[in-house]
Amino acid sequence: MRQLLFIGIVLVSGFSAGVILGLINFVTTEPFLDRAIELENKANFESGEEKDTPQFRAEYNDYRYWQKSGMVLAGGIFGLGVGSLFGIVFGLSRDVLPGKHHVQKALVLSGLMWFTIFMMPFFKYPANPPTVGEPETVVLRAVLYLSFIAISGFGAVGFYQLYKRLEKNRKFVAFVGYVAFISIAFVLMPSNPDKITAPMDLVNGFRIMSAFSVSLFWFANAIILGSLWQRFQPDARIKFEKH
Amino acid sequence: MSSVKEITISKQTVPIFAVVILALIFAFGLFLVGYDQGHLFSVVIGEQAYEDLYLHELGHDMRHAAGFPCH
Repeated sequence: MRQLLFIGIVLVSGFSAGVILGLINFVTTEPFLDRAIELENKANFESGEEKDTPQFRAEYNDYRYWQKSGMVLAGGIFGLGVGSLFGIVFGLSRDVLPGKHHVQKALVLSGLMWFTIFMMPFFKYPANPPTVGEPETVVLRAVLYLSFIAISGFGAVGFYQLYKRLEKNRKFVAFVGYVAFISIAFVLMPSNPDKITAPMDLVNGFRIMSAFSVSLFWFANAIILGSLWQRFQPDARIKFEKH
Repeated sequence: MSSVKEITISKQTVPIFAVVILALIFAFGLFLVGYDQGHLFSVVIGEQAYEDLYLHELGHDMRHAAGFPCH
């Protein structure tokens, strides 16, 4: 395999999909973030921690400008990271994925990874806007979230290995096995320790938009990677035969 | 008369070098967007990075939007 081409395809795909995610977020999640942070401000004014002065507003606007301006760049970095994982798994599994075209193969894998390492963890530990989450629990929450991603992801890999070794009812056994495994993990893993005090319409609206945007990222990453792979075929060895 | 036929053969192996590089990028990207609380800049500017939180704030909105815990 031409490894620099392989790495290049993976990084370009991930970064591009991440930039798309960043741009989409300006429309989907950003209005909820603004509303949530304004609620934080209001709570600070009411508690006397801050005063709603022109100086505060000037500093606040600078601070929000910096946070918002990072959305696209952070999206690109997120895309590089998650896209790299996707690229590794695609490179290792492409020959066993169903489909004749690499876009089809990438979409199948993307769907599986989206479900196991994004949606399942999202159901257990859904995204929250600012105002939800105590600073003291951030490490615990990060450990719980990443642990659930790892449990679900490695669980799926484990049941795929079982699927390969079985001869009868293997699809059924692997699927039911994964569902049972993740259901047990779902029940046993501790819940998010923080109470939600923000309005539920804000929290739920943010969660729906977050899930929608990240789902689009997985879709875009698969389309771009599959198309580039089909076009450049980094794993192809071209051999000429003379007749 | 002879002819030349092109055959494309798909090769299975993914180079370990590429896997290592991509795994490092995965870990770095996830840490920066999903967790950093000043850790990365602290290598350069020391303890002040935990007060300034430049990278943390730059990735703040994406961190929430992508589902990572924050604050």
